[in-house]
Amino acid sequence: MRKHLGKIAAIGLAAVLAVAALAGCGSSGSGSAAASSGASASGSASAAAVQGGTLRFGCQNFSSGGIDPAVETNTAWNSSRYGILETLFKFNDDVQVVSCLADADNYTMSDDHKTWTFNIIPGIKFSSGADVTPSAVKASIDRLFKDGASGSTKPEQFLEKDAKITADDAAGTITIETKTAYPDLRANLADPAFGIVDVENTKDFANGIIGTGPYMVDTFTPDVGYTLKANPNYREPVPFETVELKYMDDAQAKANALLAGDIDMANDVANKSALEELKANSDFTVNIANGTRTGFAWVNFNKILKNDALRQAVMMGIDGQTVDDVTLGGLYGYGYSVLPSNLPFNYDKLTYKYGYDKEAAMKLLDDAGIKDSDGDGIRELDGQPVKLVWVTYENRGLGDIAEAGKQLLAEIGIDVDLQVVDSQKDWDLMVSGDYDLISQNWNVYIAGSPDTYLGNWDKGNEVNYCGYENDKYSEAYKALQTELDADKRLELITTMQQCLLDDAAVLVHGYYTASMISNSKTVANAPVHPLDYYWLTTEVTPAA
Amino acid sequence: MENKQNFFVKHKTFTIFSILGILVILAAIFAPVLTGGIDPTTGSLSEALKPPSSEHLFGTDKLGRDLFARVIYGARTSLIAAFSVVILAFVIGTVAGVLAGYFGKIVDAVIMRIADMMIAFPGMILAIAVAGIMGASIRNAVIAVALVTWPKYARLARSLVLKIRDRDYVSAAIVTGSKTPYMLLKYMLPSAITTLVITAAMDIGTMMLELAGLSFLGFGAVPPTPEWGLMLSEGRAYMTAAPWLMIFPGVAIFVVVVIFNMLGDSLRDILDPRQE
Repeated sequence: MRKHLGKIAAIGLAAVLAVAALAGCGSSGSGSAAASSGASASGSASAAAVQGGTLRFGCQNFSSGGIDPAVETNTAWNSSRYGILETLFKFNDDVQVVSCLADADNYTMSDDHKTWTFNIIPGIKFSSGADVTPSAVKASIDRLFKDGASGSTKPEQFLEKDAKITADDAAGTITIETKTAYPDLRANLADPAFGIVDVENTKDFANGIIGTGPYMVDTFTPDVGYTLKANPNYREPVPFETVELKYMDDAQAKANALLAGDIDMANDVANKSALEELKANSDFTVNIANGTRTGFAWVNFNKILKNDALRQAVMMGIDGQTVDDVTLGGLYGYGYSVLPSNLPFNYDKLTYKYGYDKEAAMKLLDDAGIKDSDGDGIRELDGQPVKLVWVTYENRGLGDIAEAGKQLLAEIGIDVDLQVVDSQKDWDLMVSGDYDLISQNWNVYIAGSPDTYLGNWDKGNEVNYCGYENDKYSEAYKALQTELDADKRLELITTMQQCLLDDAAVLVHGYYTASMISNSKTVANAPVHPLDYYWLTTEVTPAA
Repeated sequence: MENKQNFFVKHKTFTIFSILGILVILAAIFAPVLTGGIDPTTGSLSEALKPPSSEHLFGTDKLGRDLFARVIYGARTSLIAAFSVVILAFVIGTVAGVLAGYFGKIVDAVIMRIADMMIAFPGMILAIAVAGIMGASIRNAVIAVALVTWPKYARLARSLVLKIRDRDYVSAAIVTGSKTPYMLLKYMLPSAITTLVITAAMDIGTMMLELAGLSFLGFGAVPPTPEWGLMLSEGRAYMTAAPWLMIFPGVAIFVVVVIFNMLGDSLRDILDPRQE
């Protein structure tokens, strides 16, 4: 017994020591955080931003930090996000095409939208000092198609592979002739896949590509990040002399690094509690904006949810607004259409009959004869308890959304078999159709238009994974493929959105918001853009 | 009766931790009574992340569910899973080890090589691989952990059987016509069972931790199951804003693991004469 008393005493002592250590960590952690954030605010970091001109930027590491736009969509995005490559055109915050390396206002287009002539803005140089000539632009696009043939960037989704490109250095123009008619080729060329590369002078395409952006690669350390320096040939003053780009994937780690003064700026702290802590701290500026991503669940029309009343009740049973605002703390902005409300697609003109109304949902089910006859709390349809298979994966809050959905649907008597899988399995199950609801988060604005994404609900389309069929929708979709007039395109897109809403065809979770958090004492401005391939731009400036 | 009294008085540690262990089991069984009928899987979304109060003793989680109810119901999941692992590993390991030790030769070689293969990998990594392949669920986590644990029992049982396999009384029993099942059950198993039971008792706490670890990593229980490891994982994202989400499940794991470890320890002291 004495031995055991010793053991018990040891455990007790260990527990006390552990608690004391944790408490110590807690207090010294917050103390040192406050101290170092104070120090960084008034001393080192602030001095660094002004005197040394160093920005320390914590961000997510995608695709091992590659920056060759020919390799993968992620590496193309990295090159744009890090401010290394620029495109001929870019999108402003209203998602309108504006000039970048080429003049967005001064161009010619044939009536059939198949021949485009763009003016390269004169005087722009690569960071190597070489001029950005039409020939250099052509060389960059040619290399993209050649080196990107086996990559995932798939430049042909933006510009057909056999497009004839003619560079006229004397006139400063580049002419692109295609067989396909593009509604607005400028938008397609604004995709980061078409980042313009100095092909002639680049030696290391993977991690040392040369572009025209405000920053250029100094050093790259795998899994750690980049040291970028200001492009000496940039056409405008570059805000920071150097940028230490540090990879950190965990949202809490980013928040802690900000609080400790180890970084000046971080993107996407996708963690409600960390984000709220930063919002409440006056030392930090939290910028949040709706992006171009919609979180939604596919509704499988080949299974139990083909029943109209059940499907409509599911929509009415889920309080998307509360889920987005409370459960996810604003990670998503709520909306009911498949296209984000901040994009110019007439969200305001849409009507939705199946917004959250628990009582109405229950009445609808009762009226349709979907009742709980055996008293187990679960309603029955055709004698079978209603149990929906809801598949999801842990990304961008989707797991929490589905879990909240299960809880809410239980309140109206619908059972949910929640399956949290990995992203690959989530995709496989979507393709095989083994689900009733399957949550995903899609970028709706590919190649500067929602056309590709809207194909998901087109009857017979190879990417229609849910079996939804509506002739009116498909006619509008077909017309959209050939319609070049902007107003008519908007009308068609509006019609398609309304069809999906009237048919309760998609359970929209909301619109994913991107965030950029900065230390107010070291960074004056750290805007967040709707298209999340713009991070490190010249708009990010040091505090005075 | 006097003897029994003596036994419990003599082994105070065992008595204390047995009572505590029984209390934990009773808490799991009578979870609905203890929590006043609160469902651990439902709550009001607008009540999310409320700190501990008289209304919610341990506060609420991200979906407004009562954390006290989830912790209490979590005991059910953890206890059932941990006991299942131990029983599975114990039965498979003991049978395999006794057979290997008794029959020797090819049977021994085959069984022990399989066991060797299983222990060639770090246990947790193999469990993660198995659970990863089979998909996340508490049942699969139990199978995964049992799969990496049984070789320990098999090797132990085999060595204990080998110790007596060639004794004269064993040979005498065989010569006098004892059949194989009789030999296994009456001679081999009893020689190994005490040590194996002690090992099993001491393993309960460890298994509980391994299962909680798997759930924490996303290879065990799936939402909305109330399971301590999963609750810790869910609470991690709210560590600074709602620390109670990690504190209460963490304390629950700590307390229960200590109870079962101490119970195993004291059981060993009673059953294993070498410790006296």
